[in-house]
Amino acid sequence: MVVIESARRNTPATRIFAFGLFALLLALLSLWSLTIGTTAIPLGDALRAIISEGTSHQDVVISTIRLPRVLTAIIVGSTLGVAGALMQAVTNNPLASPDLLGISAGAAFAVVISIVFFDAQSPLVFLWFAFGGAAVAGILVYMVASTGVSGVTPVKLALSGAVLSVFLGSVSASLLIFDMKAIDIIRLWSVGSLTGKDMAAVAAVAPFALAGVAATLLLAREVSTLSLGADVAQAVGQNVLLWRLVSGALMVLMAGSSVALAGPIGFVGLVVPHIVRLSLGTDYRWILPFCAISGALLVVMADGLQRSLTGIDVPVGVTLALVGAPFFIWLARLRAGGIG
Amino acid sequence: MRSVLILSGFSVVILFLALAIGDHHVSIAQILAVLTDSPAADAQSIQIIRDIRLPRVILGFLVGASLATAGMIAQSVLRNPLAEPGLIGVNAGAALAAVIVIVRFEVPPTHLLSWLAFAGALTMSLAIYALSWNSGSSSLRIILIGIGLSSLAGAGANFISTFGNPQAVQRAMVWLSGSIYNSTWDKIRTLATWLTIGIAGSALIAREMDLLILGDETARARGQPVELIRAVMFVLCAVLSGAAVAAAGLVAFVGLIAPHIARALVGHSHGLMLPVTALAGGLLVVGADLAARTLFTPAPLPVGLMTAILGAPFFAYLMWRKKNA
Repeated sequence: MVVIESARRNTPATRIFAFGLFALLLALLSLWSLTIGTTAIPLGDALRAIISEGTSHQDVVISTIRLPRVLTAIIVGSTLGVAGALMQAVTNNPLASPDLLGISAGAAFAVVISIVFFDAQSPLVFLWFAFGGAAVAGILVYMVASTGVSGVTPVKLALSGAVLSVFLGSVSASLLIFDMKAIDIIRLWSVGSLTGKDMAAVAAVAPFALAGVAATLLLAREVSTLSLGADVAQAVGQNVLLWRLVSGALMVLMAGSSVALAGPIGFVGLVVPHIVRLSLGTDYRWILPFCAISGALLVVMADGLQRSLTGIDVPVGVTLALVGAPFFIWLARLRAGGIG
Repeated sequence: MRSVLILSGFSVVILFLALAIGDHHVSIAQILAVLTDSPAADAQSIQIIRDIRLPRVILGFLVGASLATAGMIAQSVLRNPLAEPGLIGVNAGAALAAVIVIVRFEVPPTHLLSWLAFAGALTMSLAIYALSWNSGSSSLRIILIGIGLSSLAGAGANFISTFGNPQAVQRAMVWLSGSIYNSTWDKIRTLATWLTIGIAGSALIAREMDLLILGDETARARGQPVELIRAVMFVLCAVLSGAAVAAAGLVAFVGLIAPHIARALVGHSHGLMLPVTALAGGLLVVGADLAARTLFTPAPLPVGLMTAILGAPFFAYLMWRKKNA
């Protein structure tokens, strides 16, 4: 009933209008974000720098520092938003997201390994390690959580994810023993950050991230069916196992590429789908595109606001955790009744 | 009871091994000579044992005992066998406070570090209590809230390290990884004081803990001031966690494993569990540290890594065992 009511309240036309509004807002915020930094650059100059590829100091700052930063924020935000929605749908679990289930931590740990032991430098290498780490972490967490009579419950998944994150945290810290220089690498990859990305990195990772997002959007019908639970999905003729495997692969693709680009940014994948679902009901053909655009909005906004308010470059992962952790606590209090 | 004797015997063996093994091996006869202050001890052994290994072993033991007892209290008060101060944010609160001190001071004063770590752990316990107790106690909810608070404190620590100078942040990170390599008698005295308070307090309310674990209703019917006891337990947990974190950083999973060992050996009575838990915890950390510094010589690993390697599979085992229970 809730679905029908909310659908009546916001018709497809209003939804498309809202989506357009969000897109406009994202464009405006991104432009604003280009103007903030150690030196304020007027919007006109910033736009000219993008279009004309000038060589003045301002032009170089815009095209090599700020533009990649904003693009990274957009790509990572939309990818994480969609990945979180997909995970919550497939696992029937309001507390699922790449960071909570330890998948981001696994991917980031794999990237650290690639740097410390294999001297990796290119984002493409990071990418494949991140895919591997995300896949292994996902499988491990799911296996541990699925033991026991009650099967996979949200709490067991979250607990297993937290334990994996603690464990990987200890192991990464121990890498310092082998290589003291690794401290900066570990710091960089333990918290998601948008700093120091160049256009080459963005260009290398973007195709994978966007492919993951696009594929998920195309499969939105199947995701909606999956979100009804295995029994219902089977009853309406869906090959549940097949679509779960496909979803798992997409999740690894999205979580891995966002980590390879910006490190483990938390809470976007948790918060965004919840807010979107509150206003859109349960149809993933609407939820997924809105998650993509809202995720991008959230990350661009968090980064821009933080920089303009404090004037210091705090990693965006920290900012988002400071906002997102209270949200998670609120959610846990709200939902705890039904998720034993 | 026989199992307790075996555990005690095992402890003596581990403690002697931890004193004997290292870059330079010391014979049992020499160790005994140093410990009894006899003239047979040679100068080199005296220096190695008295200045390096003995403080390290004692500090490791005390850290383990504190973490284990804190874990036992947390598991009782939250009525959840998976509750571990490291997982539910109590240790993270202590660590956040300690990171502030370490980033702020060149040489962090031991006492200040302990007090602030205690304040951090207590704030976190109170936050868990306040956030989770408004409508009856769902122990799963507490753990989830703890995970949320834990990442909040972690983000706080990261936020602070963005502003600190790189060297200070590096010190804080190495310290956070959980190690007891720079043990001093000063640290031992401070930790011993806090541990004594924590253990004595726990011993005093051991019977009340037995009662409380049966449920609020039952405990109240037997005339127990439930809220008071629970508050005392939270404070004791914070005392022990804070002290351990201040001394050694984040050593994970000891608070999870040790109480389970104790329960397997002596059953569920807290009066009996308390000494066995503390002993098992101490032993775990000393043993893990021994393994950490000898297995990969000359690259000593932090003890926190060894306990994590032991603890993460143990956690999986606990989940698996629930299937058979």
